[in-house]
Amino acid sequence: MARSPIDLLQGTLDLIVLKTLSWGPMHGFGIARWIQLTTRDALQVEEGSLYPALYRMENRGWIKAQWALTENGRRAKYYRLTSLGRRQLVAETKAWDALTGAIGRIMTARRQPG
Amino acid sequence: MAHDGDDRGPAWRRYVRFWRGDATGDVNDELAFHLESTVDELVAGGMTRDAARDAARRKFGDVDGIQRTLYTLSRRRERDMARTEWLDALKHDLVFGLRQLRKTPAFTTVAVLTLALGIGANSAIFSVVHSVLLRPLPYANAERILRLSERNGQGSMCCLPFGNFYRWKSQARGFEALGATWGIRPWTMTGQGEPTPIATVLASAGYWKAMFIPPVLGRYYTDAEDREGAAPVAVISYALWQSRFNGDTSVVGKVVVLEGRPTTIIGVAPSAYILAPPAEQIWVPLAPPAWRLNDFGDHELSVYGLLAPNAATVTAVRQLEQIEMPLAREHPNMGYDGGVIATPLVDSVVGDQRTRLYLLLGAVTLVLLIACVNIANLLLARAATRNGEIAIRGALGATRGRIVTQMLVESLLLGVAGALVGLGVAVVGIRFLVTAPARIPRLQYASLDGTVIGFTLLLALICAVTFGLVPAIRAARLDLQQTLRDGGRESRGAARERLRQALVIGELCIAQVLLIGAGLLIRSSIALEAVPVGFDTHNLLGISISLPQSRYPDPARTENTFQQIEAAIAAVPGVASVGRTQAAPIYTSGWDWTAMREGSNGHDDGAADSDMRFVSPSYFATLGLRLLRGRAFTVADGPEAPRVAIVSKGLAARLFGTADVLGRRISNSGAEDPRWMEIVGVVDDMHANGLKQEAPSELYMPATQRMNPGFTFLIRGKVPVATLTPAIRRAVASVDPLIAPSGVSTMDQALDRTLAMDRFTRWLLTLLGATGLALAVVGVYGVIAYFVTQRTHELGVRLALGASGASLQWFVVRQGLVLGVVGVAIGGALSLAAARLLETLVFGITTHDPVTFAVVCGLLSVVAVAASYVPARRVTGIDPLEALRSS
Repeated sequence: MARSPIDLLQGTLDLIVLKTLSWGPMHGFGIARWIQLTTRDALQVEEGSLYPALYRMENRGWIKAQWALTENGRRAKYYRLTSLGRRQLVAETKAWDALTGAIGRIMTARRQPG
Repeated sequence: MAHDGDDRGPAWRRYVRFWRGDATGDVNDELAFHLESTVDELVAGGMTRDAARDAARRKFGDVDGIQRTLYTLSRRRERDMARTEWLDALKHDLVFGLRQLRKTPAFTTVAVLTLALGIGANSAIFSVVHSVLLRPLPYANAERILRLSERNGQGSMCCLPFGNFYRWKSQARGFEALGATWGIRPWTMTGQGEPTPIATVLASAGYWKAMFIPPVLGRYYTDAEDREGAAPVAVISYALWQSRFNGDTSVVGKVVVLEGRPTTIIGVAPSAYILAPPAEQIWVPLAPPAWRLNDFGDHELSVYGLLAPNAATVTAVRQLEQIEMPLAREHPNMGYDGGVIATPLVDSVVGDQRTRLYLLLGAVTLVLLIACVNIANLLLARAATRNGEIAIRGALGATRGRIVTQMLVESLLLGVAGALVGLGVAVVGIRFLVTAPARIPRLQYASLDGTVIGFTLLLALICAVTFGLVPAIRAARLDLQQTLRDGGRESRGAARERLRQALVIGELCIAQVLLIGAGLLIRSSIALEAVPVGFDTHNLLGISISLPQSRYPDPARTENTFQQIEAAIAAVPGVASVGRTQAAPIYTSGWDWTAMREGSNGHDDGAADSDMRFVSPSYFATLGLRLLRGRAFTVADGPEAPRVAIVSKGLAARLFGTADVLGRRISNSGAEDPRWMEIVGVVDDMHANGLKQEAPSELYMPATQRMNPGFTFLIRGKVPVATLTPAIRRAVASVDPLIAPSGVSTMDQALDRTLAMDRFTRWLLTLLGATGLALAVVGVYGVIAYFVTQRTHELGVRLALGASGASLQWFVVRQGLVLGVVGVAIGGALSLAAARLLETLVFGITTHDPVTFAVVCGLLSVVAVAASYVPARRVTGIDPLEALRSS
């Protein structure tokens, strides 16, 4: 696995998890793998840190957990978005777009400040 | 991906989880799944299983730390969920309960008002009990303070002679401080606003040490200031400081003229020192003159002792007795036998109010009990109409616990509503009780404070559970299938009816006990008021005047001035006659003197404790006290004339065994050189210390032979005497304009004051008894009315079969009569036992007073019948056809 120096911004992990779950229910391991695949290993999430984030989001009512069997017949805890979580995702996506847009405009600026 | 929400693995694991808690198990499983999945992945990529396991953990990070974090997070979640679930259920029950109560506004109003009355009355009385009895006394070492008195045979004397007290003070070892007070007298304060009499307490320096509370301002006086010849100092009460000195802090060091003497104010005492009104008081040192220290006969001082830390009461008191014994031997027949009685201060402050207040609390509790029984009955009747609803809820899966909870929540709602309205009742009640004309120490501090509010809420809770539990359990035990089959009608009506009847009988029993108790005390109080005082109390005015020694140093001139005042008052138009005494009967007790007959050695029955009064010649005529033998005093009984005395019939009998005592001689045996007085008259006995007290042995001496700086003038009017007050004041001012008469009140007012507590208690008991009776009536009425409703069908059939309306009415009334008779019979037996508690409170009757018992039993039976007659009348209105069709 290639190591990448990008650390996650505070709160960004929540956004990523919400986005991941917007495709459908998934267990913690699946979420970790999905992030890894989608970002092509660019983001280095220490897998363990995913779980406290999941639990906190569950306590806030954004996601809901349920035990179910995987394709391999193993018991796993699946998380799915609640309607509250969906609203949260929309809000955070907007905030994220605003942030990246602003930073993007700065990074592509042609004029010198002042 | 399979999504089966309920699958949680083998069933047994759920139970294991149940025991160790879902939280940790879920966390472990979830993390294990993650790690195992990673290992599988790595093994599939070609790694050995052992290496993969290490790699998986590395990839995961701090497994143990994260595990702990997750435990915490999921436990928090479970707590939140449990709370939410509980709150949801409660909210549901509350909403549902409120809806139920709103659906039956008549029931709800009756129940809440009944409860509010019962709870409010309880809270009001409790606030008084709390303020007077339960709150600790305000003194720093209250638990170590003892009220000390001398034993006199079976009884105890209120007060100590100066000689005894100062002997105790110099020799006692078990006490940190001994303090004494010498009555309250109205001393005139001048130099600060209008000259006014202010309640002045003569208190020794030790009083402040024994009953210490830090002063608001300045300091208290010391032994050095509490001796003859010391510069006069005074401590003033907080209220006096506020009202007369506007709370000015420069009051310390200020000089006022108190009873003619310039006196320096040295401190302000906190208001906690005032146990009973008036709040404006002054304390000055006792500063006993030297001769007083050798007085071992006149019982004057109320004595308080602060036990030394770690000293045992028994030891300290025994040591006092070692000082007292020789004094009793040296001075026999002085009203003490060498024994010392120590009472905890709180007992002596509260006195006999304790019994009375607990009695009221008991009565008010009985009223509340009756109220609760009534509400339980109402709830039972209401539950009967709700069987269908409850059965359906049960059928839909509500557990018995849920149903009981639901019913209890409804009761609690009633309880809370009752408590809230009850607090309003309590506020009114307390305001009323505090203004009671009776003198109860610390009564003025009764209020709706945190403790009382807490008590009220607790009471409401207990009530709600009491009256709510029976119907709730009944509801939970409902036979669902049977009830549903019956279309929601009562299927066990007979059992429920029996329960309701039992409740009403219980209610009648309680009412009976309450009414008998109230009846006994009311009759006692009436008997007390019927006691003849011994003289005509009507249209008699008393005013007190004292002449300050500073301006009247000569006793002869003082007496002369009093005679002038007496003459001036007698000359006021409308005044029939005027007499004076230093201690007016009913207003205050006479001075405690030991009278000894001539020829007695003082050790036999030739000496008797008596109440002594100096009186002017016209005193007996003014009072209308009957002269049985001899003559009254005359102006000829002057200081130079032979000493004379008049005795009461009782004193004559005690000293001589006969009323034929004219010409016999008596003395105050305390004097070293007995100065004999010849008895010139015998007057009737009177209840000088109040109607409840035995008529004391009275000894009268002419005011002209025994000078005194203070007298109470008793004035008989030809016209309503109170209207003469301004003219009388002017007459007094014409003799000396600086004199401020105090304690202006009529004899009837004074007598009322002694009866105030009895009357007040009587009034309250009447009120409580009436409330209890009214509630019991409602209870009987409710059960009989329900009886009629339930049997409309049966009664209709009977009517159809030709039964007369009257016979059916009797059938219904008989139900009430049976309830009444059974209730009265059991209640009567209970009352006989309970009445013993009133042994010390009844007066003039026994606790088994047949009149009271007969009246109350009769009253309750009649009331039970009357309450059943109202629903019975409905019977004739039943239309047989309608009744038959409706079922």
